[in-house]
Amino acid sequence: MLSEESHLSDQELLLAVDGELSPREAGQVESHLAACWTCRVRRQEIETTIGEFVRFQRQNFDSRIPPSDGPRALLKAQLAQQAEVQSTSWPRWPHSVSWRFGWAVMAAVLVVVAVTSFIFRGYLERRPADFMAVTVPNPSLTPGATVLVSQTELCRETGANNKAVPVALQRRVFDEYGIRPAEPRAYEVDYLITPALGGADDIHNLWPQSSSATVWNAQVKDALEGHLRNLVCEGDLDLATAQREIATNWIEAYKKYFHTDRPVTGLRD
Amino acid sequence: MVEEKVIGLFDELRIPLLRYLAGFPLTLQDSEDVIQEVFLALFQSLRCGKSHQNVRGWLFRAAHNLALKKHLRSRKNIENAGPLMAVEERVADPAPSPEDQFAFHQVQKRLMSVVRAMPEQNRWCLYLRAEGLRYREIAEVLDISLGSVALYLERSLAHIARAAGR
Repeated sequence: MLSEESHLSDQELLLAVDGELSPREAGQVESHLAACWTCRVRRQEIETTIGEFVRFQRQNFDSRIPPSDGPRALLKAQLAQQAEVQSTSWPRWPHSVSWRFGWAVMAAVLVVVAVTSFIFRGYLERRPADFMAVTVPNPSLTPGATVLVSQTELCRETGANNKAVPVALQRRVFDEYGIRPAEPRAYEVDYLITPALGGADDIHNLWPQSSSATVWNAQVKDALEGHLRNLVCEGDLDLATAQREIATNWIEAYKKYFHTDRPVTGLRD
Repeated sequence: MVEEKVIGLFDELRIPLLRYLAGFPLTLQDSEDVIQEVFLALFQSLRCGKSHQNVRGWLFRAAHNLALKKHLRSRKNIENAGPLMAVEERVADPAPSPEDQFAFHQVQKRLMSVVRAMPEQNRWCLYLRAEGLRYREIAEVLDISLGSVALYLERSLAHIARAAGR
């Protein structure tokens, strides 16, 4: 494919740069390059172009990627759920067991399930109201989600406070958390990462915060959000860190940034 | 443990996959959803006893196919897209003087518009190569021939070189 009189094509040079030529072809290219300045310059240009593209892509994208804590927690929860479902799924019948026996066992199990669900129906219906005192969101349902925004852009915007969450979206949040239609008044659907810190208008970033919480309530969280935004905009805190900390555990973040174990604002009797 | 293996791969490949998915007209959240689905599918397949000789290639291929499906479902057009489009306005600016900054910004903008205007196959090839996939792997992910990979990459780089003023 090569001779010292002719030049290498861009594709040949690219294949050589990417290490995609066979040893024999690579040897031919190398011996041609040793004698040809034009092709050496061209190869250098190709390498520079690749380098520029990779640098451009990393510079523009990597710093915008939200921390992996939330997505990682979500994946772990989903894997655990799947593993549980699979381990409790029906076992296969051994070949030695007759189908008639199999159907009999399955019918018996269905009867037991029906009776049990009838007995516990009342309990199951009550269950969400009994256990829901949502102070910290469930990380598998609300890992936090952000929009792509830089610190400069974020701080330039002054009215980025929590906007009203559409009713349909609120309903989906309540559904996810198993809250019955009569109960939503006891909750306020809140952003985990506030839009003032780049939080997204997304179900993964919304959770039903209990209105009855007396200590770690919405006012306390608002105070934390304001404080973190000030730190970010004054350059004392990295935006990604602020987002990660509030998404991981906002109460711990409050304790850390206010240097206290108890809220200093928003206490209710 | 299958779960630990999957989480380990997620830690290693989430960012490369997100960067690759930036070549699709998807929002960042959509891309995160695609990645969750991909790793769940991997988990399922490993639990079923399937072995993958090239897990990285498998993950990119699965992400590619799911991203295409998601795009077709959502019918979002490229003007509304997330990462690929959004970065244009938020270019990092390391150059020291205002003139250099301006020049740098202009080149970056040109580069972005060139990448945006590329045919999809060219862009995907470029993004996959930037993530370190070999030609054979790229061919498998995109279901094209080795020769096509080389051709698309050559074209992509020629476009970029022109945008950079060479």
